[in-house]
Order: sequence, then structure tokens, then C-alpha cells
Amino acid sequence: YSDLHTFELQAPTRLIEWARGNRVCVAGYGQCDGNEILQLIPPPTLLTKETQGLCPERDFKVECGGFSERPVYSLKYVPDTSLLVTSGPPDSSLQVWQVSAEDSDVIKSVSTIATENVTGQSWAKIATISARAPWVLHGSRLDRVQITEVESRKNVYTAAIQGNEELGSLAFLDCNLLLLCCATGRLCLVDTRQPQSLVEAVPAPSAPCSEHWCMGTRHAAQGSEPSSQPVARLSSRGLLALTDLRKTSEFLALAKARVPSPGSGAEFLCVSWAPALEGYLAISGFDGTVHVYDTQSWDSSGKEAEPIFVHKGHIFGGAGGSRDPPLVTVHTWHLQKPRTLLSAASDGSLHVWDWVQPCGKC
Amino acid sequence: RRFPDFSYITQNGRLTDFLDCVIISHFHLDHCGALPYFSEMVGYDGPIYMTHPTKAICPILLEDYRKITVDKKGETNFFTSQMIKDCMKKVVAVHLHQTVQVDEELEIKAYYAGHVLGAAMFQIKVGCESVVYTGDYNMTPDRHLGAAWLDKCRPDLLITESTYATTIRDSKRCRERDFLKKVHETVERGGKVLIPVFALGRAQELCILLETFWERMNLKAPIYFSTGLTEKANHYYKLFITWTNQKIRKTFVQRNMFEFKHIKAFDRAFADNPGPMVVFATPGMLHAGQSLQIFRKWAGNEKNMVIMPGYCVQGTVGHKILSGQRKLEMEGRQILEVKMQVEYMSFSAHADAKGIMQLIRQAEPRNVLLVHGEAKKMEFLKQKIEQEFHVSCFMPANGETTTILTNPCIPVDISLGLLKRETAIGAAPDAKRPRLMHGTLLMKDNSFRLVSPEQALKELGLAEHQLRFTCRVHIQDPRKEHETVLRVYNHLKGVLKDYSVQHLPDGSITVESILIQATAHSEDQGTKVLLVSWTYQDEELGSYLTSLLKKGLPQGTP
Repeated sequence: YSDLHTFELQAPTRLIEWARGNRVCVAGYGQCDGNEILQLIPPPTLLTKETQGLCPERDFKVECGGFSERPVYSLKYVPDTSLLVTSGPPDSSLQVWQVSAEDSDVIKSVSTIATENVTGQSWAKIATISARAPWVLHGSRLDRVQITEVESRKNVYTAAIQGNEELGSLAFLDCNLLLLCCATGRLCLVDTRQPQSLVEAVPAPSAPCSEHWCMGTRHAAQGSEPSSQPVARLSSRGLLALTDLRKTSEFLALAKARVPSPGSGAEFLCVSWAPALEGYLAISGFDGTVHVYDTQSWDSSGKEAEPIFVHKGHIFGGAGGSRDPPLVTVHTWHLQKPRTLLSAASDGSLHVWDWVQPCGKC
Repeated sequence: RRFPDFSYITQNGRLTDFLDCVIISHFHLDHCGALPYFSEMVGYDGPIYMTHPTKAICPILLEDYRKITVDKKGETNFFTSQMIKDCMKKVVAVHLHQTVQVDEELEIKAYYAGHVLGAAMFQIKVGCESVVYTGDYNMTPDRHLGAAWLDKCRPDLLITESTYATTIRDSKRCRERDFLKKVHETVERGGKVLIPVFALGRAQELCILLETFWERMNLKAPIYFSTGLTEKANHYYKLFITWTNQKIRKTFVQRNMFEFKHIKAFDRAFADNPGPMVVFATPGMLHAGQSLQIFRKWAGNEKNMVIMPGYCVQGTVGHKILSGQRKLEMEGRQILEVKMQVEYMSFSAHADAKGIMQLIRQAEPRNVLLVHGEAKKMEFLKQKIEQEFHVSCFMPANGETTTILTNPCIPVDISLGLLKRETAIGAAPDAKRPRLMHGTLLMKDNSFRLVSPEQALKELGLAEHQLRFTCRVHIQDPRKEHETVLRVYNHLKGVLKDYSVQHLPDGSITVESILIQATAHSEDQGTKVLLVSWTYQDEELGSYLTSLLKKGLPQGTP
């Protein structure tokens, strides 16, 4: 480690979202009522590029908070607005909130975006963009994907796709191109300008169907093609498939992470690309660790890959004793500091860590 | 403004007459720094309560504070050493959990607050109304102090500080690890580490930390503790051993906790020794004495490090270097260039949001008042407290008055006769379930008593009146009156099996003490009029009977 800071939240979170001004947002998912949404200001040490040691301000500060009546499974800020959107069980509706850090430190519930209630639906996955207007892309199933304008709650687009597969995650590539990842591993590229919606479907690598998949996308730099960035898919068995959207007939790379055998559940599977390091990604959700990989050396053989670094802090942090070892629920990369990550676990811990690059690399 | 504006307390009259007492929670300057000013310069001669350790340590800190402000900064209009002494004469020391009767109405009790040696939270009680004021406290124990604790005292109001309420703290382990890393790095490169400390508190914590680290890492560099420090520290800790946490108390008995293997007494001459070392020296703000001397010797070497332990009063060298100043003017116009590394560590112990919620959960107050926070930044915490505990939460500004309604319990004596009589009715008394009793409340001569109505009437010399109700029920029955009566009697006997139903020789029916008589209707021979009569006491049965009879007699009744 180059640096490691451990914090304890009052309630565990399964999301860490970055907001304007280097704020970080976390939210509770445990109880049926009284879950807190907290927007935090990280300590100054984490905002500057250089690492300081004994800085007086080493703590996270709660800038504002809100109370959610349902568990918060997913949260996304709506760019260029002071709004954020959350989703969670028991249905696929969305809740819209207003963050007004100026005159009050309460995140107020503003409205609800209702969706058709179909039995067997789980919670909605969400993504936001502010292109022509603040939009939220949401859906819990492949055939229920739609785009809603956040402020007016009007439906802007409904994807016409067949199939009732559950969705793992979704993303805006730009305001016309959507990327959907099904829990089965199938990746769907949707163009909102086309009547047929579905442009392409990329199957998962052949595997026993009990696997559950999620995806991670990387934001393209200003001006470059959104589909130039590889998409990573992670399965509950530890399989990592990288795909170039411009050439979907083959896998860019395929590898296997050394993770505990399946059965730990796919609840918290998470894969994300490093914003500042080319080709680096991190995975978590199998146990109390976060793995960092350099994918630049990978091929399509699907053999086991060696992680560059494994963060084990969450295993050792706990109060100890007979409780189950904590499970990492989510991780995210720091937007500016290249080797800094934040990770949270089911015991309420929140870690901020920075690993040392092994010798021989940049 | 150096001192608080005490005219907020009262504009008219002397403080001594207005106040019943003054309570000091702990020896930190932001809590007791204005005490001599308040008692000797503004004027207050009543009692001042604080715990024993606070009483012992306060004057030392106050004298230090006075010295810096007057001697170093040349302030006038400040309290003198004599004033500090006079002020402390007014102090009454209290023990933990000891109920102190301030006057016939007011009592106070101190609770353990953690935070620093001798820090206490105070419960203030008048009759059955109480307020708990927390002062500064923390809910997580550290190496030498335990965590704050309150019993389920259910105060009407809990006043808690909320400075760290919006903070999610870095774990202690990380902070300690960073501290040890810095010390280790400095020592490894041959540098010297100066840690200016106050005699008590953090110094012990850090000594224990370093000792353990040195042992584990098998380090050889010497660690020194300036002699004045050891003596004082030992002296106070022995005196106040009950104030430290369990672990220290246990080990103190076996060996002197403050006799360390790797930490030795310091001698002035050692400061000139070559090679690495770590030195704990007083005073904590580098404003005078040994720590300043050592600082001057070591400041010029960039291999060395000074770690400031906490808040430094303005004007001290400590404050200056923490603000970034690297060229200091010493006596005789000498300029000291500070090349050594300056670090700051905050090991201060305050409660965060989780801790505050914990304390509220322990004490179960009916209302909570938050102090020491920005109004617009406390809305979230206020809602959190209100939602979780269903109590009102207030956050008044300076000078604002908050009114809190309490539900005082008024004790009432119940006469033994009444108690016996009421408990004899119905089921046996159950300790867990409230029991409804009937009686008369007599308020006479400042006393409240519950007595039986008869007793009350007697005492008050009032005559008892009887209320009797009579109700007419019409029944269709062409037969003679005495036959109707027989029918009614048989009907009631059959329905009211648990009651005493009697047919009297004079033709009337009684159900318990209720009387039923029948007469013929004046105009209609086919209708009989039943007169049902009962006293107020039998209201329930009377109404029941009436509605029963109004339903009419079933056909087959003989």
C-alpha cells in the first residue's frame, strides 16, 4: 500500500457515486425504512494529488443527507442539475431527490417516476445523462427499458426489445446509443434512432447458465468515439470478457480471475475501469477483497490472470469474532488520483486505498 | 472578544443571587478558560462544581494560559494568579455518580464522559424534572480512558455537543499507524522527534502506543520523557486511577503502568546527543520551558520532526509553526529558521453521529438539544434523531430561548382503605399491567390524596346525595299486571344467570339493587309500563336491563 484509510459508516452501502466537487455519495440498503442517503465531502488528503501524512483533517464530512423509505440499491446523479435518482426494491419505480446544499443539509424527496408493475420484476438499473435534457435510462428487464425525462417525468423513449431477461446494468454511450447488459451475460447495443432498437447483441462466452453477469464501461475522452472504449463483463464465476464494440464478433480478451467458487451470490458483483490508467480494471463482490488487473497483457484464451494488487483490508477491519466475514459490496476509482480506489463492505466499512506500483512499471 | 458575554445570563442583579451553581465539565480551556474572569472579575461567589481531577488540573492550565497571554503577549485586563487561587477556593469537588444536593430543590450528579481525565457529563435535577448536559465526550474507549456512559435516567432534556456529528472519522488504527510511520521514518534516517505534550492525557496514550511499537519492531532508538512530566503524570494517575479504563487499572496494580521498558527519563544534556531519539516534553504549545528549548536546538535540521499534539493558543510558537511560519522571532531579536518537519496529529476524542445516537439510546431523553453546530448543517441530524427516537430536537442559536414542555409526575398518596377496597375488586393485581381504580382526589394544604368518596365527603363536611334514575319501558301484554311481572321475572331469571333476580311479595322484581315494578298503562289496557329504577352506582346494569327489556319479552315466556 501507498496509503490506506479506513472509515466506518453507520450503515453499510452498496453504492459509491462521485458527484460534482469531488463529493461522494453512499446510501443504506439494509432496512426496509429509514435508510440514509449521505453525500460526503472526502478529507482534504484525498482531494489533493500528493499524499499527506498527518493532516489535521482526515475525516469524511457529511455534507447533506436524506431519508429513503426503501432500500437504496442504485443511485445516479443527474448531470447539470441538483437532482439525483435512486432505485430499489420492491418494484422498479424510481425516486427523484433534490440536493440543495445551500440553505439546508437535507436531501429532499421530490417525485417518483412510476413504472408499470409487472410481477416478478426486481429493482430498476439506472443511468443518467444530460444531453438534450436531463434523462434517466432505466429498467429491470430487457423488455422494459425506457428513457424518462427527469424533471417532467415524461417518457421520452421506450426500447422495443423482446425478451424478459433480467438486466445486470445499463449505460448511455451517448444520447442515442445505449448499452444494456443482461444478467445472462448478453450485451445489447441499442440505437434510439432505429425503429428496431436493438442494433447488436453480443452473447456471453459459453458457460453454464447459472452464471450471473454485470458490466463496466469506461468514459471516452472528449471528442473520441464512445464505442472505442472496451466493455468489460464479469461473471459470478470470475470470468472476465472484454469486448470492443466496433468488432463484436470476437472477444478482445478473455481471462479468469482467481476468486472463490461460485455460490457467494451475484448480489454485489462489480467491475470498473480505471479512469486514469489505460487498461486497468478492478473487480469485487466475491469475498472481502478487491482485485486490480492490468488487461493489456491479456489474450482471448480465457486462462487465469494474475492480479496486480489485491486489497484485503475489509477482511481484517471487522470487530472480529463469530460474525461472517464481510463481503465487499462496491468499489470505485478515484477520478484524478490514478491508483486510488474506494471500496465498501457489508459490515459498514469504507476504505480508501492507494497501491504501490510494483517495480518495472510506470 | 476574549471572554464570553456573561450579561446573557442576566441583565439585572448579581450573578451570585441569580445562579444556584456553576458546573465545569472538564479542564480544557474552551470549557474553563473564563472561569477566573467570571468569578473574580465579573463577580460570582456561589459554589463551582467539578470532578476531583478537574479541580487538580484546572489551575495548572489556567496559570499556563495566563502566563502566555499576559507575559508573552502583553495583554492587560486579564485575570491574575491570585484570582485563579481565589476562584479555586470556591470549587466543590464531586465524585462520579454521587448525588450532590446543591440546595433543597436542586441536585446534580456527575457521569463518566471519557474524552480527557476527569471529564464528566452532569445530570441536573429539580423534583422529577431533569436535564443532562454532556460537555465534551466520546463513545469509543481508547488506550487509557474508557467510553462515556449514562444510565437510563430519562431526562426531560439532553443537551449534547454536536461538533463532530457530521464527521465520519478515520479509524483510530489508521491515524496511529500514520503517526508510528512518521516517527519510524524519522528515526530510521537518524533524525530526532520532538512531541510537545501537556502533562496528562494524550501523552500517556502515545507512550503506551510507542512502547508497544518499539517492542514489536525491536527498535533501539531511545525514547525520553521529560522528568517533570513523569512525576506529575504518575502522581495524578495514582490519585485518579479510578478514572482510567479497566485495562490500565488492572495493570497498574501489578506494575506501575508508567514505568516503561523503552521510555526513560530525560536529561537536558541528552538533547545534544547525536543519533535518533524521540522526546516527550512539556509544555504542549511550545511556548516556554523544556519543549521550547529542545525545539530551538533541533529546528535547524531537516532530518528532525516535531509532532504537534493538538490545539495551540494564538501567540505560541506551536500555533505559529502550525500556521506555516518557518522563520520565528525569538528573544533578543534572534531569527530561528525552522527546517525540521512540522506535523500535526489530532487524536482528540469527540463523539460522532453514531456516538451521539448511542448516547441518546442509553439515556432515553424526552427532548434533545444540539449545541455547537451550524444551524443549516444540523437539519439532517435533527431529522435523524426525531425519526429514530420520536423525540423533539432543538438547535437554538446563541441568545435564543428554547421552551420545552415537560410532563412532571405529581406523586399522590392513596389511602390504605381505598387501596385495599379497590384491589379486592376483580382480578389479582399484576405488576405488569396498569390497574384502573376509582377514588376522589383531595387537594388540601399542599398535599394530594386519593380517598374513597365517603371519606372525602366526611373530611369536607359535605352531605352525600343519592341519584336515582327511573325509566319507563312499555311492554305489550294484555294480561294482568301480576302476570306480566311473573313473565318478566322468569325471563330475567333465565337471561341473567349470574345476577341475583328476586320476585318480592309486594309484586316488584329486584335485580341486584335495581327495582322493577309494573303498572298498567293509563289509556291502553294492552300495554304494561315497567318502571325500572336504579341508583347512580348501578348505572351500567340499569342501562343494560333497560335495553334488554325494551327488546320485549320472548313469546314463549310463561
